[in-house]
Amino acid sequence: MSEKNYSSADDATLARQAQRGDMAAFEELVARHRDKLYARAFSMMRNEEEAIDLSQEAWIKAWQRLAQFQGDSSFGTWATRIVINLCLDQLRKQKRQRSESIEAMDEESGGVERQMPVLTVNPTAGLERAELRARIDAAMAQLTPEHRTVLVLHEFEEMEYKAIAKAVGCSIGTVMSRLFYARRKLAGLLADLRTKNQK
Amino acid sequence: MIEYKKQLELQACLDGELPQSEAREISALVARDAEAAALFNELRQTRAAVAAGEPARSLPETREFYWSKISRQIAALEREEAAPPRVSLLARLRNWLAVTAAVAAVALVAFTALRPGAGGLLMETSLRDAGAFTYHDYPSGTTLVWLSYPAAGDNAVAENEGVATVE
Repeated sequence: MSEKNYSSADDATLARQAQRGDMAAFEELVARHRDKLYARAFSMMRNEEEAIDLSQEAWIKAWQRLAQFQGDSSFGTWATRIVINLCLDQLRKQKRQRSESIEAMDEESGGVERQMPVLTVNPTAGLERAELRARIDAAMAQLTPEHRTVLVLHEFEEMEYKAIAKAVGCSIGTVMSRLFYARRKLAGLLADLRTKNQK
Repeated sequence: MIEYKKQLELQACLDGELPQSEAREISALVARDAEAAALFNELRQTRAAVAAGEPARSLPETREFYWSKISRQIAALEREEAAPPRVSLLARLRNWLAVTAAVAAVALVAFTALRPGAGGLLMETSLRDAGAFTYHDYPSGTTLVWLSYPAAGDNAVAENEGVATVE
């Protein structure tokens, strides 16, 4: 296959070529989806260097496991799931190294989010897309890895509670609780950002 | 204030995670309870904002540089898989011990077969006099003694050499 043909071929064709050992086809797939894998790793880890390393590790694993790709989902989704699993492993390692945060303890013992006043004004109403993205990014950076992970998997990856529980290794109840906390906390943070920007 | 379990059910209803009958129940709660309606609305707005505002992020590395690291690692892994398995020091020691044990076992068997009373021919030599050898043939009851003088390393003057047979 010529270089021009690689760039015009669809993902499924390139994946089949790569499964036969065609490294150039695999390189094209990497070029197409590298930003997505990096962005997902960054949204979970919040660290540029770690996100680059984990996304590269995911591509190496993808090459090794190409035979397992059956085309049930798109190639991009399949590769993204690999980087998500690597990020979850990395977060578990990091969690073992740090003590439980006060915030995480709050979640278990009845945190402030349950008593937080409900916002009646939409804190993101009227924002341009770029501004909205910037504020969501800033607010998500302030969540704990546990809460951010559940939010990313649910909102960005559109995974169901059961699938998240399986991936994270917790109960569905914990997923619901973490998601609720993350959303309420995020709403509060977005409201704070709105207030700051209005001053 | 709405109990925590109900708050989570409101969220589950929003996410389409409740069975139809329970979802109907929650919808009815939202319709009649202002507090529940406000919380449901806040959760819905946050969910919509996050879904619409997923931060776009591009890799801060060029395609070539990023790919070169991946391809190098893949090549290294494939070389590793193709190479014959390296034998560790421990494995080598284990192999050596196995061979040594086998040799020792053969030697032990040979010694046992040749020991007095085993019915075979036994050769003996005195450590103090390396020039003297004794042969016992137990079945025939014959002992042959081979004497060689002077023995190796011995300063003896005797130069006799002969064979004695004892019946």
